[in-house]
Amino acid sequence: MQQSQAVSGSCGSAACLPPIKGFLETSFIDWPGKLCAILFVGGCNFRCPFCHNHPLVLAPEGMETIAFEEIMSRLAARKNWLAGVCISGGEPTLSPGLPAMITRLKAEGWAIKLDTNGSRPAVLAQLLADNLLDMVAMDVKTVLVQEKYERCTGGPVDLGEIQKSIDLLRQSGIPHEFRMTITPSLHTEEDIVAWGKQFDRSCSRLTLQNFNPRTTLDALFEKKQGFAPEIFSRLSALVA
Amino acid sequence: MGVVMPLNAETAQARTQRVVNEDSTDIALFVRSSQDDMTGWNRQRIVDALLRETFIDRGTAEKISRDIEVTIQAGKVKTITGPLIREMVNAKLLEMGLEEARRMHTRLGVPLYDVDQLLVQHNKENANVPHGPEATNLTLAEGIKKEYALLHVFSPDVADAHLSGDLHLHDLGFIDRPYCSGQSLEYIKKFGLNLPHALSMAKPAKHAEVLLAHMVKFAASLQSHFAGAIGWDAINLFYAPYLEELSDDGVKQLAQMMIYEFSQQAVARGGQAIFSDVNIYWEVPKHFVDVPAIGPGGVYTGKTYGEYEKQAQRFAWALFEVYKEGDAAGRPFFFPKPLVHITEKFFKTDGHMDFLHHICEVASVKGNTYFVFDRGDTAKISECCRLSFKLEASDIEDAKQPWKMRYSALQNVTINLPRLAFKAQGDDTKLFALLTEKIQLAAKAHGQKKKFIERLMSLGKGGPLSLLAMDLDGEPYLKLHRCSYLIGMVGLNELIRVHLGQELHDSDESIKFGLKVIAHMNIVCNKLAESMDMKFVLEQTPAESTSFRFAKLDLAHFTTDAEKVVQGNREKGEVYYSNSTLFNVGATMSPIARVEKEGLFHPLIEAGSITHIWLGEAQPDKEALASFVINVFKYTQNDQIAFSPEFTACLACGKTSRGLSEVCPYCESKDVDGITRITGYFTKISSWNKGKLGELHDRYRNVDRFNQ
Repeated sequence: MQQSQAVSGSCGSAACLPPIKGFLETSFIDWPGKLCAILFVGGCNFRCPFCHNHPLVLAPEGMETIAFEEIMSRLAARKNWLAGVCISGGEPTLSPGLPAMITRLKAEGWAIKLDTNGSRPAVLAQLLADNLLDMVAMDVKTVLVQEKYERCTGGPVDLGEIQKSIDLLRQSGIPHEFRMTITPSLHTEEDIVAWGKQFDRSCSRLTLQNFNPRTTLDALFEKKQGFAPEIFSRLSALVA
Repeated sequence: MGVVMPLNAETAQARTQRVVNEDSTDIALFVRSSQDDMTGWNRQRIVDALLRETFIDRGTAEKISRDIEVTIQAGKVKTITGPLIREMVNAKLLEMGLEEARRMHTRLGVPLYDVDQLLVQHNKENANVPHGPEATNLTLAEGIKKEYALLHVFSPDVADAHLSGDLHLHDLGFIDRPYCSGQSLEYIKKFGLNLPHALSMAKPAKHAEVLLAHMVKFAASLQSHFAGAIGWDAINLFYAPYLEELSDDGVKQLAQMMIYEFSQQAVARGGQAIFSDVNIYWEVPKHFVDVPAIGPGGVYTGKTYGEYEKQAQRFAWALFEVYKEGDAAGRPFFFPKPLVHITEKFFKTDGHMDFLHHICEVASVKGNTYFVFDRGDTAKISECCRLSFKLEASDIEDAKQPWKMRYSALQNVTINLPRLAFKAQGDDTKLFALLTEKIQLAAKAHGQKKKFIERLMSLGKGGPLSLLAMDLDGEPYLKLHRCSYLIGMVGLNELIRVHLGQELHDSDESIKFGLKVIAHMNIVCNKLAESMDMKFVLEQTPAESTSFRFAKLDLAHFTTDAEKVVQGNREKGEVYYSNSTLFNVGATMSPIARVEKEGLFHPLIEAGSITHIWLGEAQPDKEALASFVINVFKYTQNDQIAFSPEFTACLACGKTSRGLSEVCPYCESKDVDGITRITGYFTKISSWNKGKLGELHDRYRNVDRFNQ
């Protein structure tokens, strides 16, 4: 089965900017140590059952696209306040126009953080080579075992590509974070320990997020629970 | 109309005199007799009461008493009680058209059914009052004093305006007390604990723990003489001379004792915790730098406060360490509320970034921190939900002898703004005329309360307000001539919505009009201040229950208009107006936009304002919060901000978790209670009134990622 290439609302050309489906002007939590704005790009090649942003994944064409110019002017008004712009999704690297968009943001002096699932190492490599990124957060959904990973992404995945992205970030020299959303039904304690071991904690920041059953892509997951708080704290300590 | 004003000087004075002369215990005794046994019945008592309490003539009084006697003898009444006789006399007075005499002869009391309900069910008018025998005592007493105030302290036009919901006279149940009090610890450091009527007198404290004990007891005495908040200025600085001998652990221990003492004081008046505020500075405020410091034993240490910066900082740091930990179950402390002043000097003081990160972490983890912005040369003391007193030249003069720094607002009157818009029907001129009229009425109410308090104060140390008349430094504790009188507002947002068809967050035009309304209020206050020689200042009323009350009354009396604009859930009865000048709590606005736009109103509101940022579950990064706080200081006019997280406290396992959940994430029990800020303080959500529950549901928590 082919991975979905659909990037809805995009013309598929590098001149077309990614379809921005959501904009949060102020986030206190998405960029460690910084106040940032977030742009949400529509379209994704994964179908993670626990995903909270699923309208962006499943039906981005039904969501209004926010004009990039409008975003630029709203950002300009907040120049004093915001330390950077976080580009999230969906999966932004699917959009051919991503480099063009980042270039324009950079030209205005914005620092850029990219949220990615790591499935497009070629795009990531180019962005890094062109010096377009200041921080990257990559979701590494579980240990790199085909069957386990695909249960988390809800469909086929090329683990070779994921590994390439991990290596790219490791060698990038820019601040980056590998993060994993954990749920009792998909992640065992062994998985979590093994997941942590594949990274070098001295150069990469590792973060676990507890699954929250509020509006999930797979409705069945809304009936499931995250880890109890004390267990989650213990698991977080395992990778810290 | 030939109404005798309730505050008619002669009667009221005579009455006050009488209450003082007679022991009021007698008044409380019931007459109780029965039809079979008329012994103890004395018709003359009716005559005496009528002559004592009203202006009717002896002949009429005699006639009434005989009529009543006939009714009782002929009637089927089995048991006759004092209150029943009084009501029969009142019916007679009405029958005879003696309305004014009936009013003066009114009996204040509570129906049996209401008392039964009250003793059993929880009164939620103020979420800081728990349920218990002390609390019901408070509610019963407040009920009677409230009726007394409306009948006897305020004129009928003022009382009617309150009852109909044109305006709200706050704390009517505390009619015989001023509203709130802000002071310096120096008073008890210098004079010890030397209170009128106390069973013992204490010399100035020699040790930090004793000073704390004095402070707590003094705060409790103040609570029983004021209706609202008890605030303390620069608390960490004034403790500093007592801390030199203490290790860091000792300082932390003291901080812990202070916070627990105030947060566990739910044993005082009405089982109510003292609504306490502590003002904290990282720097030594300019006006205290050269002031000689008072130390153990109430004697000068020979140093100035400027030399105690490090000790003061140690205490400030320790207080926030305690706040960060929370109580034994990890819940945030509800009191005392810590207000950190962010000033120009703050940014020039060593270690300020570390301290800012420290207090931002507390804001993120537990939410306690209030960030108060004193820009330029402004110096302020803050208390209550948002009330602050700007220090004027005379206050700065007092600062040289800080025990003289005592501030009080005598009363708060809030105006129902949406109702003015219903009545104005889109006409600007009419709207502003109505607004002026209501402010004048509020000022009149203030004048009446002032007169009443003056009368009580004039009884001096033998009177009911002996603590406030206490004179240890050449002036009574309550400096009446320097009191402020607060004029508040509820529902600016809904006024705009009625008048312009859009809400404050919808357009710059509506903000501009909103500013015009508040500026007008400000001008009218200033004019009245001059003509009445009273300091009227605008305040953002916390309106914990007023925003609910106004909305409910308007739905009842201005139904078609109000239905279109009240916020909340009408089916569940969870209705409210937006507080003061706050924007719609549910509007999708970034925290930056909210702080900036709400802040436009703050310079017009002298007695204090706040912007709330509701965090919900999210636990923000402390550095991100710190940069936000710095920018609020640098780029906005906002007076004060607080970040409010939400918690779930499990009553089964006793653990506290982040966010509001219906089920405890630890033990899956459904026996949980939510905790977050109601207006200017944290409480348990189970104690909230319906209006605030409606608001809680609507609050925008900065997570709605696709609409902002």
